[in-house]
Amino acid sequence: MKRRAHSLPSDQAEINVSPLIDMVFILLIFFIVATSFVNEVGITPKYKDSASPTTENKPPLTFRLSASGQILQNGSVIGIEEVAPIVRTSHSDSKASILVQVSPGSKAGLATEVMDQALLGGAKAIKLSPLLQ
Amino acid sequence: MYQQIGKHYHSTSQPRPIQMRLYGRSKSLDDEQDGSINVSPLIDVVFILLIFFIVSATFVSLPGVEVVRPDAQTADSLKRNSILFALSAEDKIFHGGEEVQLPEIPRLIELGSKDRNKPVVIQTDQWADATLLAKMIAEARKIAPSVSIATRKPR
Repeated sequence: MKRRAHSLPSDQAEINVSPLIDMVFILLIFFIVATSFVNEVGITPKYKDSASPTTENKPPLTFRLSASGQILQNGSVIGIEEVAPIVRTSHSDSKASILVQVSPGSKAGLATEVMDQALLGGAKAIKLSPLLQ
Repeated sequence: MYQQIGKHYHSTSQPRPIQMRLYGRSKSLDDEQDGSINVSPLIDVVFILLIFFIVSATFVSLPGVEVVRPDAQTADSLKRNSILFALSAEDKIFHGGEEVQLPEIPRLIELGSKDRNKPVVIQTDQWADATLLAKMIAEARKIAPSVSIATRKPR
């Protein structure tokens, strides 16, 4: 009351903004807390379904994953560390269109590792396709 | 109100002589302002911070299941505002905290991306079935611009 009487002669209407500041601070804290920064790392095997006609006639480099966890390429069993060199050597002619065929029962971890190794070998596009029984 | 805050602040924390020296230059100024602090720059800064956090807030809905990610050497950091799916070791698909079925994936991506063409990230367990992962990627690729597989951070 004393303050009111004091400010009245200067003829200035005052608005109390402290509730506004309180509210803005609460909003600020809410948005700081709610902002979740999800940082995922991973691989992105790009694949275009519309294959160009030049690569159409050539069968893509195929890796087949069996249910027992073996990697087959051209009918022979290879190790995971051989994937990258195979992709690297055949890369130039088949233009790095890799097909990874997975049998039912094979593990997603192995499929991801094969795709990772193929990307390491310079593959541009990898397709993961399920094999029917 | 500025006067109120300032008065309160000064009366509790500042000794009287300093206040007199700072603000007591003229009689009329002293009567008018009475040792107040201008809080409008503070409000400006707080508003700018608030708007920054509102704009940068991306409410990512987590799949709601923890998976053992496979290893990878070529792993790269993925886009932050992507739509997350998870494939658990029991070959169940999760999105937004609940289990979903394989044919629902394109509809969920369409709901989640809101015409902004968000990329899709699939968190797969390394012991999940690879054929289901391949089917998930094929379903997601019908509608999403890019589909990534989340892996562990390379050592």
